[in-house]
Amino acid sequence: MLEFDGLHKSFGDVRVLEGVGFTVAPGSMFGFCGSNGAGKTTTMRIAMGLVRADAGEVRWNGRPLDQASRRRVGYMPEERGLYPKMKVGEQVAYFARLHGLGAAAAATAADEWLERLGLGARRGDAVEKLSLGNQQRVQLAAALVSRPEVLILDEPFSGLDPIGVDSLAEALLGQARAGVPVVFSSHQLDLVERLCDSVGILARGRMVATGTVDELRHRESGRLLRVVVPDADAPWASSVPGVRVVSERAGDTVLELADGADDQAVLAAALRTGRVTHFAWQQPSLVELFREAVAAPAPAEVAA
Amino acid sequence: MTAPAPHEPSSASLVRLVAAREVATRIRDKGFIISSVVILLVIVAAVVIQVVTGSGDEESRVGLVGGDGSLVTALEAQGEALDVDVEVVELDDEAAARTAVDDEDVDGALLAGADPELLVRESAGGTLEAIVQGAVGQLAVAEQLTEAGLTGLDVPEVAVTALDADAAADEQRVVAAIFGVVILYSLLILFGQFIAQGVVEEKSSRVVELLLATMRPWQLLAGKILGLGVLALGQIVAIGVVAVVAALAFDIVEVPGDLISTVAIVIAWFVLGYAWYAAVFAVAASLVSRQEDLATVLMPTSMVLIVAFFIGIQAASDPGGLLATVTSLVPGLSPLVMPVRQAAGEVAPWEIALAVVLMVLAIGLVVRLGGRIYSGALLRTGGKIKMREALAADRA
Repeated sequence: MLEFDGLHKSFGDVRVLEGVGFTVAPGSMFGFCGSNGAGKTTTMRIAMGLVRADAGEVRWNGRPLDQASRRRVGYMPEERGLYPKMKVGEQVAYFARLHGLGAAAAATAADEWLERLGLGARRGDAVEKLSLGNQQRVQLAAALVSRPEVLILDEPFSGLDPIGVDSLAEALLGQARAGVPVVFSSHQLDLVERLCDSVGILARGRMVATGTVDELRHRESGRLLRVVVPDADAPWASSVPGVRVVSERAGDTVLELADGADDQAVLAAALRTGRVTHFAWQQPSLVELFREAVAAPAPAEVAA
Repeated sequence: MTAPAPHEPSSASLVRLVAAREVATRIRDKGFIISSVVILLVIVAAVVIQVVTGSGDEESRVGLVGGDGSLVTALEAQGEALDVDVEVVELDDEAAARTAVDDEDVDGALLAGADPELLVRESAGGTLEAIVQGAVGQLAVAEQLTEAGLTGLDVPEVAVTALDADAAADEQRVVAAIFGVVILYSLLILFGQFIAQGVVEEKSSRVVELLLATMRPWQLLAGKILGLGVLALGQIVAIGVVAVVAALAFDIVEVPGDLISTVAIVIAWFVLGYAWYAAVFAVAASLVSRQEDLATVLMPTSMVLIVAFFIGIQAASDPGGLLATVTSLVPGLSPLVMPVRQAAGEVAPWEIALAVVLMVLAIGLVVRLGGRIYSGALLRTGGKIKMREALAADRA
């Protein structure tokens, strides 16, 4: 288990993290979402020992990550970092050696990964001569070359074209299938929804939602009901007990039902206005969940 | 994959990895290769120029039969007064002297004794005669005064020979030391720049974040300084060897031992100076994120280096002066001043020891304090970071 537990961090007066915690099981992929400046990068940097947490810790297999165990973590920083003038092959091998591989093993592993990521022919070129997408692959190779036990990737998909996204996704799924817990942050929520076993949404320094996409959806869909009653000309739903009108526009109504509120009573009320063309629990996309979670002024009500 | 499982690398092996990368990158860098070659060429050129301009001085080989050490020194001193390099060749007897003159092995041969005689091939030439006449005359006067009981008056002999001879050797050592200080200064600036650029490159390319995920800042700093240090040391040793060999080959030094010891002193001070300046440059560079901002942040240290350089040059003419004495003890300045004073022979052993101790302490301080600034500043990008902030942010 990779556990992020109660992380607190302030930079001066700015409180960036206020108790961030989530767990990633081996072999599962965790999508880390949150608006810009929410604290995703800080969280990952704490895990990598680049930032010191004011409180809380990150554990791998029950033991806090330290300098030695971090060497078993593959890391891709948000700001891509490679030596621009160093050759691709040497560079990847260098990072392998920094992670503890011997010279020969490092060279072999570097070649293997570059080949696998389709960069075999470019291994003798300086990194700066590569396209951005290819540089990104080299970055991934640098993160994977030491056969890490854990992967922590900050915005690995940003700047990639759809084909690059697919091949990176494939590589990450392969790692997860091999039993590596993968944490990555991304703004591409459709991607997160597609790839990740579980998702965490970070807002204002707290995890406002964690769980599988289905769980989150369920939690939301348990409460939001969309009813379209084109003939209604007056507020019709607010009289039903336990119902709050979230929005109403030309008969297209979104209702929030409190626990125990009767959806059939809502349907009866709707039928009293005339035709009912739509009556369904909302199936929010991750984007909507995200918007909801991030926009909510009182995060407690959606916090897991 | 069949690769063996990774092991936890030790601090030493991480430092070695970083150092090896620095060396490997640098020796393939055209700029570095060119600058190294240029420096060596400049040294050889300087020696050649020394020979060419020095050949304006007359040279004279004088054979000497009989006479004692005082006559040899008197001849040399006389030559110096007349700006002629006099080399005295001791010969066994008159026959040997005649052969030597005939073979043009010597320009003239002096048969010392009560009636001194100068053998020459054709004519003595004005200066040779003057040198010999002057030397013999001087000695004769001294002798006669002694015989007349005026023993107290043999001062001129002692004073002239001893002081002049020493000064010549000192001067040569000082010239070598000035040369050394120029090289030392150039290499410190050059390698200081290399270090600083390397630090900023890692920051601006953000690769430092990846590096620091696997090692501590001090390991990175130590690796960089050591790696480039090995190159710098190799370079200054190469320069020293080339300079000594060239100087001996072109015969522009009289006492090779002096030259070699001066070169050794310069190299030793280079090691101390390099350690200090490299650390300071690296730490200063860590405060900025772009190569364009580097000049500003390196300015104060560069100024110290330049001031030290000029004091070092100045110390050559006044090695015992207050300025030279004080600055030769001040860490940061001492590497460029002390070698000159040592070469001039105007320094007590305790002063050298004190300067070394102070310098080593200063290096320790820079590495400790600088290391904290370095690690605090490495992950902060954008703008110039204040030293205080970096210290506060040390691994925050």
